[in-house]
Amino acid sequence: MDINYQFLIKTFYLVLAAVPTTLNITAVSLLIAMPLAFYLAVIRLRPGKYIQIIISGYITFVRGTPIVLQILIIYSILPSFLNSVAKGFALEVNVFDWNPIIYAYIVFSLNTTALLCEVFRSALASINKGQLEAALCAGMTTVQAYRHIIVPQALVVAMPNICNITVKLIKGTSLAFLMTVKDMTAVAKIAASYGYNYIEAYMDVFAGYVIVCSVVQVAFAFAERHVGKFRFIK
Amino acid sequence: MLKITNVHKKYNDNEVLKGVDINVAKGDVVVILGPSGSGKTTLLRCINFLDHADQGEMEFDEYHLQMHSATADEVRKIRQKTAFVFQNYNLFQNKTVLENVTAGLIIGRNIEKNEAVDLALKALAKVGLSDRVNFYPSQLSGGQQQRVGIARAIAVQPDVILFDEPTSALDPELISEVLGIIKQLAEEGTTMIIVTHEMKFAADVATHVIFMADGNIVEEGRPKDIFQSPKEERTRNFLRRVLPQVEYNI
Ligand SMILES: Nc1ncnc2c1ncn2[C@@H]1O[C@H](COP(=O)(O)OP(=O)(O)O)[C@@H](O)[C@H]1O
Ligand SMILES: [Mg+2]
Repeated sequence: MDINYQFLIKTFYLVLAAVPTTLNITAVSLLIAMPLAFYLAVIRLRPGKYIQIIISGYITFVRGTPIVLQILIIYSILPSFLNSVAKGFALEVNVFDWNPIIYAYIVFSLNTTALLCEVFRSALASINKGQLEAALCAGMTTVQAYRHIIVPQALVVAMPNICNITVKLIKGTSLAFLMTVKDMTAVAKIAASYGYNYIEAYMDVFAGYVIVCSVVQVAFAFAERHVGKFRFIK
Repeated sequence: MLKITNVHKKYNDNEVLKGVDINVAKGDVVVILGPSGSGKTTLLRCINFLDHADQGEMEFDEYHLQMHSATADEVRKIRQKTAFVFQNYNLFQNKTVLENVTAGLIIGRNIEKNEAVDLALKALAKVGLSDRVNFYPSQLSGGQQQRVGIARAIAVQPDVILFDEPTSALDPELISEVLGIIKQLAEEGTTMIIVTHEMKFAADVATHVIFMADGNIVEEGRPKDIFQSPKEERTRNFLRRVLPQVEYNI
């Protein structure tokens, strides 16, 4: 097997140059998903039958279907749907002109929201009820109690899972090429297609994801230690 | 100062409080005794609305309210006037000792930080923990944690402090350090309602003793009367069980 080292190196730089796109999709999706998931998790911990059914239906859908399918559904249906809505309201927007990355944000946010919701729910439920009661007794409102006492503790519990979901999300964004987004995978595939150097291209992508995911995991390990500094092992 | 009348509370079909009245004047130390399951914890929790009574009236200084229909605003005001010391401490795990004590001042009562820290340090000095202010709860013994719990309660200068079996979770050798502090508070005239199984301590600090069983107040009065000449058979039985030495002292 001959490896075209020149191509290998050249494409590696291309892949590296596309890292910001991958991280962009990841970061934006996380920023949208986190508050949404937190809000849904809080709702899930309260009584209220119909809203529970809706939320758990959504979570089941996301967890029970391949992400490729979710991408295909959203990418093929959403633009025409949005277009007819825009027409209905007589708005002057052409959704077909939108940067495809917007659809990537939508798919990956919806997907990540469902996964994070379950993580937040179980993390919040793992905090002893006495913490909330003590905060209320100290004169705090429920919102203050969550903000200052419950969420900081739940975050520590959730950190390892948030890390897993983030890494999964980074890897998942490799499917963004289906929506014509030029992420790390897409860039390498395009480069390879000219001279059929797929082996080299895939090795570059492989290395790219290993590096990005390792850096993210190290960053999470630091963050975990930081938010969990109150945890001392006796 | 604090008067509650005819408090009823049910869990499903289990009637836990069957019409309890309590009257607390400023400076009173009310001790509630009674067998496990008699509703003592539930009563304390209804007073600051951690549990919601099904019926009952509360007069607390200028506030006069129906306990089953208290608004969120009323509940918050009552909680601002009280403090609660839990059986299992419930210190904020993510906060240092100092932050545990200042939280109720800064977050709960909007007191400026410098002033809050001053008040907190005074409270911590009182419970003998000035050298532990930057520790986290997980680094403290049970006795130290409960002393932080007491500092957290006194720092906000509440009208009344509610104690729910403050020493029940402690190893025997740690009990006296906590009881000593509560006793000192009693001597300084702090108004308190204390649920405890420590009989000697109860007889020592109480200005008024209430004996509860099955959701009712069976008997109440001055500590001397309750401990030395209880009128009710159930009180006598209870005291005989928890004070076995009474029988053998001749
Ligand atoms: N959250 C709850 N749900 C159902 N039953 C409860 C709850 N809390 C207390 N009870 C019941 O209420 C009764 C009184 O409990 P409690 O007030 O804790 O008694 P005490 O503090 O005197 O031991 C017990 O029978 C207990 O099982
Ligand atoms: Mg109890």
